Amino acid sequence: MAAREKLGFLRQRFGAAIIRADLTSDRRLYVFVEPRSVKEVCRALFRELDARYVITIGADDRPWSGCFMVAHNFAFDRDRLLVSVMCLLPADSPRIESISDVVPAANWAEREMRDLVGIEAVGHPYPKRLVLPDGWPEGLHPLRKDVEWDEAPDCDESGAGYDFDDPPEGCTVVPFGPFHPTLDEPAHFRLYVEGETVRGCEYRGFMVHRGIEKLAESVLGYNDIPIMAERICGICGCVHNVAYAQSVEEAVALRPPPRAEYIRTIMLELERLHSHLLWVGLACHIVGFDTLFMQAFRVREPVMWIAEKISGNRKTYGLCVIGGVRWDITSELSDELKTVLDKLESEWHNVARAVKNDKNIQRRTCGVGVADASVVKEMGLIGPVARAAGVDIDCRRDHPYAAYDRVDFRVITAQSADVWGRLVVRTDEVFESISIIRQCLARLEPGPIQTPIKEDLPAGRFGLSSVEAPRGESHHFVITGENNRPRRWRVRAPTYQNLQGVPSMIRDAQLADMTIALGSIDPCFSCTDRIEAVDVRSGAVKVWTPRDLREMAKRAQSGRHIKDS
Amino acid sequence: MSLLSKIRETVLCLKAGRVTLPYPAEPRPVPPRFRGRPIFDAAKCIGCAGCANNCPAREILVHDICQELRIIQYLGRRCTFCGRCADVCPEKAITMSHDFETATNAIADLSQRLELFMSTCQRCGRCFPEPSPLERLKLKGYRFDDVASERWVFHSKGYLDTESTVADIRIDLD
Repeated sequence: MAAREKLGFLRQRFGAAIIRADLTSDRRLYVFVEPRSVKEVCRALFRELDARYVITIGADDRPWSGCFMVAHNFAFDRDRLLVSVMCLLPADSPRIESISDVVPAANWAEREMRDLVGIEAVGHPYPKRLVLPDGWPEGLHPLRKDVEWDEAPDCDESGAGYDFDDPPEGCTVVPFGPFHPTLDEPAHFRLYVEGETVRGCEYRGFMVHRGIEKLAESVLGYNDIPIMAERICGICGCVHNVAYAQSVEEAVALRPPPRAEYIRTIMLELERLHSHLLWVGLACHIVGFDTLFMQAFRVREPVMWIAEKISGNRKTYGLCVIGGVRWDITSELSDELKTVLDKLESEWHNVARAVKNDKNIQRRTCGVGVADASVVKEMGLIGPVARAAGVDIDCRRDHPYAAYDRVDFRVITAQSADVWGRLVVRTDEVFESISIIRQCLARLEPGPIQTPIKEDLPAGRFGLSSVEAPRGESHHFVITGENNRPRRWRVRAPTYQNLQGVPSMIRDAQLADMTIALGSIDPCFSCTDRIEAVDVRSGAVKVWTPRDLREMAKRAQSGRHIKDS
Repeated sequence: MSLLSKIRETVLCLKAGRVTLPYPAEPRPVPPRFRGRPIFDAAKCIGCAGCANNCPAREILVHDICQELRIIQYLGRRCTFCGRCADVCPEKAITMSHDFETATNAIADLSQRLELFMSTCQRCGRCFPEPSPLERLKLKGYRFDDVASERWVFHSKGYLDTESTVADIRIDLD
C-alpha cells in the first residue's frame, strides 16, 4: 500500500518525468526518472516525505542498455518500504546533477561513484577524490566494464594527485591515524586543533579498498560471492553474507525454506552478541579501563565456541548459499546453545551492571561525541548511533528479513545522543538478541535447509536487501547477470554512513575524546599499504616504500596476468 | 557509589579466576564440524574439476597433460578453508581436516598434487553433477591452468594446443 501511495505522490508531482515504476512487492519500489528531475524527486522524498537516505549506486550498464545507470536508494522505515530512484545516463556524457546539497548524506556515495564508475555529480559541494589512491591516473574508472579486473595502472609516485585542505585560521593540524593505537584498522583524520579543542577535520580513508565488487562482477560466481562477502568485515561478516544472498534471492524471487530463515536469524544474532560484547570491551579499553575489557572478552568467548561448533569456524561462518544455508542446527547443538545463552545472560547482567554504574566510564562518555537526531537525519546515520539519539529505526523490525517477522523483540533506544547512550543501547541489545535466539530455537521447524535451484537465474533483475548489522544497517544492491554472476553488486556497510557523522561528533570537543567518539560508532575499516622489515640478526631496518611494494606487486602480477586466449 | 562499583568489578574478576588456555602447550580440541585444511584423496578423485570451478579463492588448478592425464593441484596459499570444494565433490574425495596450524616457511608445503588417469566418458567427457546451475562447470574441454606459475586461466579451449599456454607471461626466477 505504502509503495502505491508514494508512487502516486511522485506521479502527481512529477508527471511525465516518471518514466517507469516497478513495484516488485509492497516493500520495494523502483522508479525510473528522467535524469533532469532526479534531484527534485530526491528532494521530495527526503524533505517532504521524510525518507531516510540509504545509498547512491553508479553502474556501468553500457553492454546491455548502452547507458550508465544511477540509483539513489531511500528507506521509509515506518512504512517498511525501500525506494530506488533510478535513471539512465547517455554513455558519452555520464553526468548527473548532484543531490548532496539536498541530501548531505549522499556526499561520499557521489564521490565514490565519480571515482569508480566515472559518473560525474555536477555541482557536488566537495568533489574531492575519495576511494582511489593518490597517484591513480585520472580517467581510469575501475568499475567500468571495459577495465580488466586485474588492471594495474602506472601510478604517479611523486605524491601529487591529492592535496589536503588548509586548516582554518588559528588551528594546528594534528594527524590521527592511519595507524593509531586505538584504531584497529587504518584511516587518516587530519584534525584541526585550537589548543585542546578540535575545530574540524578532514578524512582520508579507503586505504584498504580491495575491489571486492569488481571481483564479484568479473571473476566470481553467484555462490562464490557469499564466501568473499563475509570477508568484507572481520566482525560482522555474516551480515554481508546473508545480505548478499537475500538480495539475489529477492531479485530472482526465490525463497529459502523456513528452517534456513531461522538458522540465518540465529547466526546473525550470535554475531550481534559477540560484536556487542567485543565493542563494550573495546570501549572500556579506549577509555583506559582494561579490567572490564578483559571481562567482556571472557564472557564473549563461549559465543565464539558455539559458533565454531555450528559452522566450523569462530567467525566467517560460511553460512549462506543462494537459496539457503549450509549448516544445520541439530538438537544437540540447540541444547548446547541454550546452555551458552543462559550462562551468558547471567554473566552479562553482572558486567553490564558494572559498566553502567561505573562513574569513570560515565564521565568519559556522557556528553561526548554528540550526534543528535538532526545529524542522524542529515548524514544518514544508522544503528546504535541513531537509536542512541532517540531515532527509532531497526531494519530487523522495519524491513523484516529471514525470520525476524516471526519473533518478538524490543528496539532499544536512548535519548542522550552521546557515547553513553550508544553504550546503553548496545548493552541492552545483548539481552534482546539472547531472547531472539531462544524464540528461534523454540520455533525451529524440521525441513530442508536449501531450496533447490533448477534453472539459471534470470539476468537483469534488481534486488535490495537491508540487514541490521551490529553497527547499523548493511545494505546490498544486486543486478543479476549472465555467466552465473551479478552485473553489479553494491555493498554499503554501516560505517560508510556513520563515519560521515564523525566530523560533527568531534567538532568543538576535546582532543582526548576523539578516540572514544570515533570508537563509539564501532568503526570498521579494513589492511596495510606500507610495511617495514627488520633483520633480526643485524638489526638493520629496511623500509619498504610504496614504490617498492607496488613494484613487488607488479612482479607478482606479471606472473599471473593473462588475457583470454 | 563509585567505590561500590569498583568493589563489584573486583568481585567479578576474582570470581572469574583464570580463564586463559595453555595454548600452544596443550592444543584445544576442535569441534567435529571444524573446518581446517582440506585433504584430497587421490584414490577417490575422478578429476571432474568441480572443486576447482567452485573454489571462491581460485586455489585449485587443473592442468590436462593429454587426453588421459590430468593434474589437479591444490595450492593452499590463500585458501580460506570455506569447505565449498568438499561440499560440491561428488565422490567425497575432499574432507575438511581438523588441521589448522599450517604456518610454514615454504609455502609449497601446503600444496597437494593429484595426478589422475582419466578415462573418457562417452556421455559428457567430465562427470561433475552440479548441485544447482550455480555450480555448473564454467570451463569445459581441456584445461590449462598454469601449474608452473600457480595461476588460474579463465578460458580453456575444446582442443589441445601445440603451443605453450604460458608464453605470454614472464616468470622472474630468483
